Amino acid sequence: MISPADSIPVPIPVTVLGGYLGAGKTTLVNRLLSGNHGRRLAVLVNDFGEVNIDVDLITSHDGDTISLQNGCVCCSIADALGESLDRVLALNPSPDQVVIEASGVADPAKVAAYGYGWPGCRLDAVIVLADAETIQARAKDQFVGELVTRQLRGADLVLVTKSDLVSPKVLDSVVGWVHDITAVPVLPVNRGDVDPEVVLAMSRSDLHVGSARVATPDSPPLTDADAMFETATLALPGPLARARLEATMNLWPQDVVRVKGIVWVTEADRGNAQPHVVQRVGLRWSIEPAPTDIDLKTGGGRLVAVMLRGSLDAAALINDLVDAE
Amino acid sequence: MPGRGLCVTHRFKPLDAKVPRTATTEGVGMADITVFTARRVRTMEASMPTAEAVAVRDGRIIEVGTLENMAPWLDAYDHEIDDTFNDHVIMPGFIDPHLHPSMAAVLLPMEFTTVVEWDLPWSEIGAVGGRVELLDRLIELDAELEPDAPLFAWGHHPIWHGDVDRETLNSISTTRPVIVWHRGYHSLIVNDACYRWMDIDLDAARRHPQIDVDRGAFFETGLGVAYRHMNSFLLGTERFRAGLDRMRQVIHHGGQTTIGDAAMGMYGFEDEWEHLKAVMERPDTPFRIQLMPFDMGPLGNDESDEAMIERILAYPQRNTHRLRFSDHVKMFADGGFFAELLMLKAPGHLDGRHGEWMTPPERFERVARAFWNAGLKIHVHCTGDLGVELVLSTLEKLQWEHPRFNHRFTFEHFGISSAQQVARMAEVGALASVNAYYVYELSRAFADHTLGYERASQMSRLGSLERAGIRFAVHSDFTMAPAKPLNNAWVAANRLNESGEVMCANERASLDAAIKAITSNAAYVLGLEDEIGSLRWGKQADFTILEADPYDVGAEGLRDIPIWGTVFEGEKFPI
Repeated sequence: MISPADSIPVPIPVTVLGGYLGAGKTTLVNRLLSGNHGRRLAVLVNDFGEVNIDVDLITSHDGDTISLQNGCVCCSIADALGESLDRVLALNPSPDQVVIEASGVADPAKVAAYGYGWPGCRLDAVIVLADAETIQARAKDQFVGELVTRQLRGADLVLVTKSDLVSPKVLDSVVGWVHDITAVPVLPVNRGDVDPEVVLAMSRSDLHVGSARVATPDSPPLTDADAMFETATLALPGPLARARLEATMNLWPQDVVRVKGIVWVTEADRGNAQPHVVQRVGLRWSIEPAPTDIDLKTGGGRLVAVMLRGSLDAAALINDLVDAE
Repeated sequence: MPGRGLCVTHRFKPLDAKVPRTATTEGVGMADITVFTARRVRTMEASMPTAEAVAVRDGRIIEVGTLENMAPWLDAYDHEIDDTFNDHVIMPGFIDPHLHPSMAAVLLPMEFTTVVEWDLPWSEIGAVGGRVELLDRLIELDAELEPDAPLFAWGHHPIWHGDVDRETLNSISTTRPVIVWHRGYHSLIVNDACYRWMDIDLDAARRHPQIDVDRGAFFETGLGVAYRHMNSFLLGTERFRAGLDRMRQVIHHGGQTTIGDAAMGMYGFEDEWEHLKAVMERPDTPFRIQLMPFDMGPLGNDESDEAMIERILAYPQRNTHRLRFSDHVKMFADGGFFAELLMLKAPGHLDGRHGEWMTPPERFERVARAFWNAGLKIHVHCTGDLGVELVLSTLEKLQWEHPRFNHRFTFEHFGISSAQQVARMAEVGALASVNAYYVYELSRAFADHTLGYERASQMSRLGSLERAGIRFAVHSDFTMAPAKPLNNAWVAANRLNESGEVMCANERASLDAAIKAITSNAAYVLGLEDEIGSLRWGKQADFTILEADPYDVGAEGLRDIPIWGTVFEGEKFPI
């Protein structure tokens, strides 16, 4: 699938996983590394010791890098995040996405600077995990209370983990409490068990027509992604004006937790529509020219939206993008 | 060379030749006794605070006192009287228990342009007080350096030096890379020639939120981008070893005969070990280095606590004559003081900024417990009163769970604390190793910009420690403070800042405590009080030779006392 033109630098999405110790970052990292999501992830972790990978899946373990059968690698950050980032960006083939597990006492918004600033990268999202059982007590702790609250404020998406370990009433109050701190989507999840599609950006392989990652126009508009989420595939009849697309990205509510896809975009001052990769996580979105080496048919394109089950329907989302006839 | 005495030696034969000598000393001149006489010997031993002479054999003191009282030794063995110091005062060799040779090795090859003056062995560097002075200094340096050598100038601080940007530095040179480094290592500013030298992708850099390409400024994570283009230069073996060699001179120049490396391995343990052996383990190095490994947690690693302890306990097996590990370990609580990353209790930072934990509090407690239960001597970097609170409450827990005496648990730096915390420290037997120099350079700036006056004036409190009976050292944390124990003791005893204000007179150390803080109590903090730190029989013959007795000079004059040089293990090393 990888064409020789891969050498054309396409920024690699970087996702930062934040949250205090015990919030479930490692569980999520384990799930991402062993998951069947079809992407080559490079996951940078602080502590190898806690990453628990089935030895049968490991193809090589070279000091600070573990390579897996599914094409993912896991690297220890050791003492320099920048160096680790350079190391995985230099991999051949290059990873589809980099996931940085921020240290439990880091401000993930600061770590995010590596995503939007490091050469060859773009920031996909800051995802902060909060342990439903302990987050409110932590937020009152004299040593880490201010830090834990600041971590939540830096998130594009908050995952309330271990929500199965508290009563529905407590969970409601935790989610409400997080909402008081931040305006971004707050999603309860069981333990660290998150649908990878919520966490991961669109990958290069997603962009190829015929890839299993993007549903065809014939697919049912809503498909089960997880007990908690559902996925809508929005097939677009034609190009969209940039202004309209941007307005919609700002308009869609928090219940749409992630949007990704390819859209042919027309600019106000130029004629021909050009294919763009659209990504939205929480309230952060980006619209960037699609890589030129991707096999795309001209047309309108399609967007995949991951949203809370039962919150919205696909027709309403399409109506926001395309005027009703 | 201030007042170096003429060395006159007299050789004496034992009066009673019948006294047997051991086979190993027979015929070997080395085994003779050397008696150093002096205007005064200041022993730092309460039993005999002053003396007239120190008798030394094989690098060790055999007796301190008067020639008359030494007669039983001198009558029994060959000896010589060395009166080099008859116009000088012999002090115990100074000890700086906390500095960082490797950080210094990176920095010392650079040019210093800080708001305070530096007296370095190879040059005296004046204070660079403002923006105009900084630019003038850069122009001078540009004229002095080899044509293509990059000009690294360390010490810029916006509070004093104002705004400096790429265009400013282009006006210094369009061909030479010019790099201006922040005093607290928090940012650097470069010119266009430096961009070319770094071979950096400016379009990519432009997207970085913490790189301002137009201003030539790299901050925080942006520094990582700069370092990856500079590290091969800054950490190159030749440059690094040249920097370490300068560090060797700095230590000697300050009169130290023992220093503590308070985090061995920051740039890679085995590399540093090789560099230290190559540069420091030489017969002409007049000091020893007590090396402290640290909890790797802040830098991330995968080791179990048990494996880490096993590794740490094995280090002493590689000890050389001058490079020594022991059972002391270093940990880190909150962020740097100069970098203003201290963790504070209410009311926090004046400008609303936040500090940082260098180690997650839960990890800190877990690792501290593992070290404590293994009997290790723990030293903790803590700078803000919330950092102190974490360390103190952890120590209180550990004392409750597993009581220990003589544990040498030491609060390092001790920037901001309260008197109530000091009282609790005394209860659990804590020690302190304090960067008193913060008061000199930072108290006014931190009062105005970071903490407000009350807290800033009481930074690095020492009077409270002394009143509580807590033994404390003062250290330089070089290059945070000059590696000059007399200067740091002067700050401790006077609390004068660079603006000439006395900051919280009640937190001054007494003259006696300030001198102990660089001699006997510094030895105690390192667990070496049976070896060094005072002058009595059996200890290392390590002396710092002064032109005057600090107890005569008084607190005000401490930093101005000229240093003749040192004696290390019985051998003279004039400056």
